[in-house]
Amino acid sequence: MIFYCQSVCTICKMGANISQLERDIGSDQFPPNEHYFGLVNFGNTCYSNSVLQALYFCRPFREKVLEYKARNKRTKETLLTCLADLFYSIATQKKKVGSIAPKKFIARLRKEKEEFDNYMQQDAHEFLNFLINHINEIILAERSQSKPAGKGGSGDAGSPPEPTWVHEIFQGILTSETRCLNCETVSSKDEDFFDLQVDVDQNTSITHCLKCFSNTETLCSDNKFKCDHCSSYQEAQKRMRVKKLPMILALHLKRFKYVEQYNRHIKVSHRVVFPLELRLFNTSLFQSDDAVNPDRLYDLVAVVIHCGSGPNRGHYISIVKSHGFWLLFDDDMVDKIDASTIEDFYGLTSDIQKSSETGYILFYQSRDCS
Amino acid sequence: MAVQLDGGGKEDLKTQFVTREGTYKLMTLSEYSRPNRVGYTNSQGSTSVRVSFVTLPDPADPTGTQGLGDRMCFNFGKELYVYVYRGVKKFENMFQAVDLNKPVDKKLYKGTNPTCHNFNQTTATVESAPLLVGFSTGQIQLIDPIKKELSKLYNEERLIDKSKVTCIKWVPGSSNLFLVSHSSGQLYLYNEELLCGTTPPHYQPFKSGDGYAIHTCKTKSTRNPLYRWVIGAEGCCINEFAFSPCGSNLAVVSQDGFLRVFHYDTMELVGSARSYFGGFLCVCWSPDGRYVVVGGEDDLVTIWSFHEKRVVARGQGHHSWVSVVAFDPYTTSYGDHDPDFSGSDDETMPHNNHNHFHEKPCRLSNASQGIHSNRNSCGSELRVSGGTCYRLGSVSQDTQLCLWDITEDVLRQPVNPKQRASTAGSGSFSSSGTFTSGNGATTNHHANNAKHNNTNNVNLKESASANNESSNNSTSTNAAVSTVNSLTQRLVGIGFGERKGDNHKRNFSLTMRASGTSNNGPVQNSSAEKSGINANATNSNSVGGSLGANKKAGSAMDDPMRLIGTAWCPRFDECPVLEPLVCKKLAHERLTELVFREDCFVTACQDGYVYTWARPGHMINVLCDALADARNRGCRPEFSHVHRRTDPSLLAVTPLVAHCQSTVTVSRMV
Repeated sequence: MIFYCQSVCTICKMGANISQLERDIGSDQFPPNEHYFGLVNFGNTCYSNSVLQALYFCRPFREKVLEYKARNKRTKETLLTCLADLFYSIATQKKKVGSIAPKKFIARLRKEKEEFDNYMQQDAHEFLNFLINHINEIILAERSQSKPAGKGGSGDAGSPPEPTWVHEIFQGILTSETRCLNCETVSSKDEDFFDLQVDVDQNTSITHCLKCFSNTETLCSDNKFKCDHCSSYQEAQKRMRVKKLPMILALHLKRFKYVEQYNRHIKVSHRVVFPLELRLFNTSLFQSDDAVNPDRLYDLVAVVIHCGSGPNRGHYISIVKSHGFWLLFDDDMVDKIDASTIEDFYGLTSDIQKSSETGYILFYQSRDCS
Repeated sequence: MAVQLDGGGKEDLKTQFVTREGTYKLMTLSEYSRPNRVGYTNSQGSTSVRVSFVTLPDPADPTGTQGLGDRMCFNFGKELYVYVYRGVKKFENMFQAVDLNKPVDKKLYKGTNPTCHNFNQTTATVESAPLLVGFSTGQIQLIDPIKKELSKLYNEERLIDKSKVTCIKWVPGSSNLFLVSHSSGQLYLYNEELLCGTTPPHYQPFKSGDGYAIHTCKTKSTRNPLYRWVIGAEGCCINEFAFSPCGSNLAVVSQDGFLRVFHYDTMELVGSARSYFGGFLCVCWSPDGRYVVVGGEDDLVTIWSFHEKRVVARGQGHHSWVSVVAFDPYTTSYGDHDPDFSGSDDETMPHNNHNHFHEKPCRLSNASQGIHSNRNSCGSELRVSGGTCYRLGSVSQDTQLCLWDITEDVLRQPVNPKQRASTAGSGSFSSSGTFTSGNGATTNHHANNAKHNNTNNVNLKESASANNESSNNSTSTNAAVSTVNSLTQRLVGIGFGERKGDNHKRNFSLTMRASGTSNNGPVQNSSAEKSGINANATNSNSVGGSLGANKKAGSAMDDPMRLIGTAWCPRFDECPVLEPLVCKKLAHERLTELVFREDCFVTACQDGYVYTWARPGHMINVLCDALADARNRGCRPEFSHVHRRTDPSLLAVTPLVAHCQSTVTVSRMV
């Protein structure tokens, strides 16, 4: 029954709610060349809608996707072309507000990944992770194709591929330092990341969660470290630090925890406050070789919010900052919200409280790139 | 790792804790809250619970020892309560519970929440205690909970400001002037005797400066508001303001992350600071007016020197946003500070380090004086004697209370590009303070040293032993060594070029202390250190540059990216980082208020509870008297006797003796 309405609602509709948005913003205040379009839900596709809206309002990402659209006129359909078409479609709407059906994108997504090919609620973070990686792979694949045939084999010949624009936007580098407790040898390893996944504690801030992320962890018992120097498994200490800060810092709050006692995942609704402005404490300082500013100041630009009590039910919405004001995207509905309502999405301080609308993925954009 | 779904063990709430001056205890029978509470009330998104006090001059009790003159006001949700406040004072029945069903006054508002309130201590009498209340919808009410008949409304029609009142205070010493801040970013001066008019006020510019403008009302007859201050960017919420103890300066903190300090009468901006990130939420002045402390969304407590007009230190210890900062004037000691604390309770043990740390600067300067003067002329800048030791308290959304001891030595670390070496020294001891914290920090420290040397196994042993040595050594030498080393590092660092792609560079992710210690043999540095040093030197250069740019304020004011590394907002490693003396979880909900009083301190919590914490010695006054009596009579004190006279649930015999002793010692010291 859902497919029935798909074909109809590709055309934008002007609900009562939508025109209210224009009134709320005010016609003179409405940013030029900006469009606020809700995304129609095709049956539990809010995980995708919320993430797509958040990404659309990550300006560097949107610009690159639109650029890609402009450069690639006639190529075979990929998830990236579908995304580019969707973004292009939003950006070129005649109306300023409305809703749009991401029909092609969802259809392609369901083809690309089996897990998403159903009407079940999916995890927004898994989707984001898949999308970012998948787009990156598409770009890399297209790049290798476009290279002259003679150099075809050289791509795998060791040297890391040149970073794509996805790397440039989302990629940061983590350094994990491990010290063997037997021989004291320290080894460190760099890891790329597209987002940081942090554990949440009750009544803390995202700053604290990020600090805990860098706390020293002892590897022991079953989880011993294979020390090259000792040539054996040894107890070791490990800690992670951010070596390179990304342009857009995506923070995933690990709110779904597996609890053995219940044999299932439980939502952790802990109250974790997140400021509109952020700096990181756990960077490895004094990186002179990377042209990365450890003083980078981030602005919160979008938040994907999970509503509901469990991982398999509930709903995803997103709030985004655009031209100085905040908007709430709930599938096809868009509302202007006051910045002070963001505190409703920090989480709960008590189990007794019912509605759990909690920040799930935070998108911070570096100020020096805006 | 077990998952805590209940929001963190209920069992670890503190009902008492120990600092160097003794044990603070929760007065379980002096707990205020809304009467007849039923179960759980939703505190989500509601306004913070704030507490105001007033002491009524009582002719019958001029010394106030009976404590009948204290009134307390707190707000919760839509309600406002005024009670007689008994604190820890003794009554006929010793620790008499407060009858929560008999408030002095109680108000329930519809459609709006009281957000803040303030008694006028200047005009308070036995029969009258003017109380200002600000509301979430912008209105202001003046009531008298004792006289009852008084009730005036200001901004009633919301013609002056529609946004939430965030802070309201009587102008110090004034009987009729008060200042109100709103979340719209405006601050108004009202005269309680004037009317607000029936039309929206028309303003005319009166004065403006960097990031603020002041207007007056453009009317023939004087009306409210007398002045309007627009502070910061448009619509940027003023979170709190505070008058200096002398009443002549006004510190204002806003959501734009700025602290702005004005000379109140001349309306001149005399200084400002920027948060590390996020808004500043709370502000207070040191009792001597020399420092302004702010807390904010960076989870830090930031100390700003009024005289030097710069951020002099930061305190790191909270796990979430800092909601209230307050100096404890009764524990702040002036002059030479003796760290001889004898806290014997196991709770104090982990904190010994912090005390040592706070002592360190003093010794550091002694120990390193000679070396410094050889190497750098800035040596004379370091102070030898200990100065004032301030006690600061802070509460946060993390439900914890932090107490901080701040010695002037730390605050007086010079920051000047030419004296960078000593600043680096201060950086290194402060980071050593950071390393003495829990979370396996000591081992962490070990790890760091080892990490530095991972390329050089010969160096490894040396470093490890050096490390052991330094941790066994008195902190003074250690700190001195690191100071010298930072200086050495800097000098050495200049000689090294860029080491492109050096794999070990990233290892310089540690705090300076670690580098300082492992650097005991500076000549045989591993490459990792060299690269680190190099970066360090570069860093200091950039600081010098930006500091020079400080002079031309103005344009830089709006841009936090340009303020980083300046006196307004030093980089994190450029400024001493303090650790709390104690950090205690006091509630299940976020803490929203902290007031220090002579015999106790008071905390309030988002769920509407107001708690009184008796200071060491104060709750057991009676007992000490008993002990003294017993001694005077030449007989052994009978603990069982003492025990019977008090609430047995509150006091145990063993700690009692210690506290009495410590009380005596303290008084002798003073």
